[in-house]
Amino acid sequence: MKKESEWEPKLVGFLCKWCSYAGADLAGTSRKKYPANIGVIKVPCSGRVDSLFILKALRLGFDGVLVSGCHPGDCHYQTGNYRARRRIAITKKFLEYMGIEPQRIQASWVSASEGGKFAEVVTETTEKLKQTGPNQLFIEERQGDGAKATARG
Amino acid sequence: MEQRLRQEAKTLLEQGKVDYIIGFEQGSLKFTTAPLITKDKGDTDRLVINPFIVNNLSVYLTDIEGRVGIVAKGCDSRSIVSLIQDNKVNREEVVIIGIPCPGIIDLSKIEQLVGKDRDELDDITRDGNRVVVTVGSKKKDFPITEVLFDNCLGCEFPTPQEYDVLLGEPSTPVADKTVSRAKIETLEGMTQEQRWQFWEEEFSRCIRCYACRNICPACFCQRCFVEESEPQWILPIPQWQDNLIFQAIRNIHVAGRCTDCGECDRACPVNIPLRSLTKEMYDLVDELFHYKSGMDKDAPPLMTAYEAEEAEDFIR
Repeated sequence: MKKESEWEPKLVGFLCKWCSYAGADLAGTSRKKYPANIGVIKVPCSGRVDSLFILKALRLGFDGVLVSGCHPGDCHYQTGNYRARRRIAITKKFLEYMGIEPQRIQASWVSASEGGKFAEVVTETTEKLKQTGPNQLFIEERQGDGAKATARG
Repeated sequence: MEQRLRQEAKTLLEQGKVDYIIGFEQGSLKFTTAPLITKDKGDTDRLVINPFIVNNLSVYLTDIEGRVGIVAKGCDSRSIVSLIQDNKVNREEVVIIGIPCPGIIDLSKIEQLVGKDRDELDDITRDGNRVVVTVGSKKKDFPITEVLFDNCLGCEFPTPQEYDVLLGEPSTPVADKTVSRAKIETLEGMTQEQRWQFWEEEFSRCIRCYACRNICPACFCQRCFVEESEPQWILPIPQWQDNLIFQAIRNIHVAGRCTDCGECDRACPVNIPLRSLTKEMYDLVDELFHYKSGMDKDAPPLMTAYEAEEAEDFIR
């Protein structure tokens, strides 16, 4: 078992195909460095991301979720990111009320030309999650060792 | 008012304006009412209006084919409008018989105040802002704010927002916002860990009967995510983690449709305080997007609409 000091947060990123995924690609081709903590899932639009995806990721033991899409007004489907914004706004607030740390749910607008911003967002989010600590929300016995096994459903 | 309702219902059926009438009839237990769905004009004499007409009947609208005349209180009418907004109900096919609602009496609150079971009570009558409970020869009276349901105390629109016939004069809300939000405020005073702990304990009791979902007029999906198997979002076995996810997502999915009618809370057989979730969502939607469910049948549903600039502060 890893020691607490070695613990690294696991982050799942839902990136929209048109902007943020291309932005992540650009970060790679321009050799920007960012933490390898993020696992990326490509979605057709940030509006595709149901709140269920976020909770399912947390339930599977991921420490945080990043939803990233096109800047307002730039959505390939005109309004998808606006809808995502409403949904994530209530999800974040509502889950905070239920007792989930709001830092675990992050959102950003990253365009296809913002490779640098994507690297920054991932670095920052990973930092925030390191401060928040491991996700123990769905583990039966939450007290105790910080780097416990994940709660796989 | 009851006589007028029966008359209206009868006329609607006789003139062929509706195929069905949905209303309330006397329940089999004392002080209860049960939904009455009928095609027969003779049945309209069984329709009642009293301070115990608790159910939100709009849940039946999506199941019944044909034109329907429906008895609706303030919150029910908003549920109907919300269904119209979502294209689940056609405005032309429903005749809304509006009832200005004076607030519905919570029998369990009365039982607690009187210290007797509902079967032992002889009569409960409402007299303005007081409720008189008769047990044998004794009479006790209580202020109305002590005996109404929590959601009725938080009610802003007791008079239906959309109706074809309104029985009686518009009523004014019996607002006691502090009582209505009391449970939520206790939760908000807790730390994040304590709140999570609280919901873990509550949802450990959940038996996943889905009564909350089935009674909810806003939960109209033909296929709910909990029954999907590819991917299987949550296990069908009741364990608190999945129970909690089910309820959290249910609330997020009905955001902007929930009218705080409180039916899920009453339907729960293990008394999980579900209204502490629905009411919070109701207020959250209002705070973030200045949106109240079911107020305008021509407005787009909350989650399909947007403003160019709103709720941006958390996004990088």
